[in-house]
Amino acid sequence: MTSVAGRRALLTCRGLRKAFGGVRAVDGVDLEVLEGELHALIGPNGAGKSTLFNLLTGQVRRDKGEVYFDGHRIDGLPPYRVMRRGIARTFQITSVFRHLTALENVQVSLFAHYQRHLNPAALLIPARRSKLKEAMHLLEQVGLAPNAFKPAGALSHGDQKRLELAIALASQPRMLLLDEPTAGMAPPERRETMALIARIARERGLTLLFTEHDMDVVFGWAERITVMHQGKIAAQGRPDEVRANPEVRRIYLGG
Amino acid sequence: MARLAALRKEVAGWRVPVVGVSALTAGGWAAFLAISLIFPYLAPVFWVLFAIDLFTLALFALSLNLLLGYGGMVSFGHAAYYAMGAYAAAILVKRADVAMPLALAAAPFFAAAGAAVLGAFAVRLSGIAFAMLTLAFSQVVYAVVFKWTGFTGGDDGIQGVWPIKALAAPPVSNNYYYLTLGVVLLCTLLLYLLVNSPFGYTLRAIRENPRRAEMAGVNVRLHQWVAFVIAGFFAGVSGALFVFFQGSVNPDYTGIFRNADPLIAALLGGVHHFLGPALGALVYKVIFFYVGREFPFLFHLVVGAVLVVVVLLFPSGILGFVQERRWRSLVPKRKPAAAPIAAGKGQPASPLDRG
Amino acid sequence: MEWMARVAVQLLSGISIGVILFLVASGLSLIFGVSRVINFAHGALYMVGAYLAYSVMSQAPGSGPYFWLALLLAPLGVALLGLVVEVAFLRRIYRAEPLYQLVMTIAIAFVIGDMVRTVWGAENRSVTRPDFLTGAVSILGQPFPVYNLLVLGLAPVVLVGLWWVFYRTRWGMLVRAATWDRDMVGALGVNTSHLYTTVFLFGAWLGGLGGALVAPLQGLAPGMDTSVLLLAFVAVVIGGLGSFFGTLLAAVLLGVAQGLAVLNPLLRRFDIVIPFALMALVLIARPQGLFGQKE
Repeated sequence: MTSVAGRRALLTCRGLRKAFGGVRAVDGVDLEVLEGELHALIGPNGAGKSTLFNLLTGQVRRDKGEVYFDGHRIDGLPPYRVMRRGIARTFQITSVFRHLTALENVQVSLFAHYQRHLNPAALLIPARRSKLKEAMHLLEQVGLAPNAFKPAGALSHGDQKRLELAIALASQPRMLLLDEPTAGMAPPERRETMALIARIARERGLTLLFTEHDMDVVFGWAERITVMHQGKIAAQGRPDEVRANPEVRRIYLGG
Repeated sequence: MARLAALRKEVAGWRVPVVGVSALTAGGWAAFLAISLIFPYLAPVFWVLFAIDLFTLALFALSLNLLLGYGGMVSFGHAAYYAMGAYAAAILVKRADVAMPLALAAAPFFAAAGAAVLGAFAVRLSGIAFAMLTLAFSQVVYAVVFKWTGFTGGDDGIQGVWPIKALAAPPVSNNYYYLTLGVVLLCTLLLYLLVNSPFGYTLRAIRENPRRAEMAGVNVRLHQWVAFVIAGFFAGVSGALFVFFQGSVNPDYTGIFRNADPLIAALLGGVHHFLGPALGALVYKVIFFYVGREFPFLFHLVVGAVLVVVVLLFPSGILGFVQERRWRSLVPKRKPAAAPIAAGKGQPASPLDRG
Repeated sequence: MEWMARVAVQLLSGISIGVILFLVASGLSLIFGVSRVINFAHGALYMVGAYLAYSVMSQAPGSGPYFWLALLLAPLGVALLGLVVEVAFLRRIYRAEPLYQLVMTIAIAFVIGDMVRTVWGAENRSVTRPDFLTGAVSILGQPFPVYNLLVLGLAPVVLVGLWWVFYRTRWGMLVRAATWDRDMVGALGVNTSHLYTTVFLFGAWLGGLGGALVAPLQGLAPGMDTSVLLLAFVAVVIGGLGSFFGTLLAAVLLGVAQGLAVLNPLLRRFDIVIPFALMALVLIARPQGLFGQKE
């Protein structure tokens, strides 16, 4: 395990375990994501990547283990609290507010971030123009400004993924968990999307943990890679290290 | 903001751009207000009484729709809070000798308190379980009210709950009509502001995708609870208004059929439109007037038949149907939005325009 | 000693009510388990069964053969009605949002309910029990209606019959599979449309049988559809959606609770609270019911 000099760990999990019935989806995972890095999480289907994400965000309760974010324990917190600490995520199957327009999607996230939605004073003020500039700005950043008034459900798959990104960015997170951000896209679109994500991450100093199946994307952008297999960490390190790792070859190529 | 305006023009073909209130809406409201203000002087007493009844049902249905249409929470027990408002008003006036106007103002808070307690449990569930629990609570309230004869009058209920002379209902004076109209309009305005506030947008987002809302930092349960309490409050208002109109209260205020009334009204008019439930209430009352009084055995049959037609052919209710046709005439080349039956999904493109 | 006898009688009486409730609730649970539709019209179907039985039996009040004929024909009539309902209306809404499904079944309940009231009138009616089942036997010195003995006696027959249907027939196996995973069953090449129809038919038949049995026991009343529906909901929720055994246990429990509550003046005051309070409690503490599957 290599460490990148000077960078501290923003997200740490130790001994994370989760079983469904008899299946150990996550079986003793220790993971460190360093501040500011682009960290890829890869592994064959069923390796436990999505479950790990769900554990990190609090959507699934862990059986055992601890998760620390920025030095504070976050395991056991409900998802919205984890969010408020500064972690945002996107979903593998795009998850947006389908009947709200793209603009409204982002506005809602902003309301939540600024705690405007439960503010008694805000119960009666019009929302249409609230946080409008900021929402449009976010949409511009992800290239969705022309589609601002389209219902999210009517957007193309790629655009919905961008919208998810905008929703995630609205909460001004310190860390992004991206679950297969380029799934369902053709290769050129994948590179474009990843470039956009990487650029935004660098501009805002975000830490990125993302899962991917496309190895071009992974090796093209990740600074460090963690390989999962059957619920455990099989390998971890810089891309060239991982690529050369015989265990990794075995997992992916069999035999 | 000029860029915003330019963008709006660019996508104008997609939907009716409603910035502010359209001339049609403003004109409609002006006409409604004018007519409703002089209505008692135009119409026979019977219709004034009909209008009072209608207004309270409209508010009751609008309050349910906060949960149903905006929150995506199907409540089968909303009548419990309607009844709590009614009983609170009646008990305050008859047993605690509170002045009627004060009782009317205080009653909804009792209903809200009830909704706060019961809602705390109900919002832990969703979907069918939520519906069943709200139903169970409503039946528990029914049972308690039925059995607690000393306090609530039991099966007979409480009689002689009348407004003060100054606010009497027709044929004594028209003032109760104006009171009801005023209160219902005020509450409608408050609800309108609410659903178009950040709270309202967030509620809709929760309806669309609770998981995503949670992951955007929204405390979903708290939000739903607040919506439940507010809906209960306004149900209590309608219940209190009705009890002074009816003159008595009894356990049927929270009976199984009373739970169905606002639900049916909302569905008839359209749950995804703000005024849908009010329109549905009108249709419901009209059906009752023409069918229910002459043929009481056929009222539910006709309502049932109408509902079957609505579910199969007009699932978005009257207003939804109207809106869809308007959109189709605007953008004729687009494939008409799939009905909920075919797609298994909810409404077509953003009805948020209409608030 | 007399006290024990009264308890015993009430207990048995409660169990017999529970058996009838089980018939209704199991139909509800079955329909939900396979098609995920909560059939609000189930109480109305039960009511039709009761009224049909009354119509048959009133041709020859007190006659034994007519009683058995009623038990045969009434559930069949209800099943036929169920067939019409399913094919004409329910089929169109299986894919719709749950709200619309519920409204559809409520609407059907309204229509059937009013149809019954129109055809048979809205007065309470009593149904003459067949001669061989009138009177009472003495249990530990307390009188116990003979008719209830029939219901109790039918209980094991019903249970064995249901067990046989669901565990020994191909159809039953499909139903059980569909309760666990509808889509898989469809993927296996089973005509799910037919399955849904037959399930609804069978569920309606069970409800009709319950109604036919209850007619001589408690008579007919216009509100019987809603009251049984609510109790059936309670039984299904407490027992757990999709679990026959759970529904049986819950139904019997509810019947017994109702039966025993009569004995205690305090409980008697709150007897109508108990079922719903229990349902609320179960939903709060264990939403999947005592034996249900966690969704």
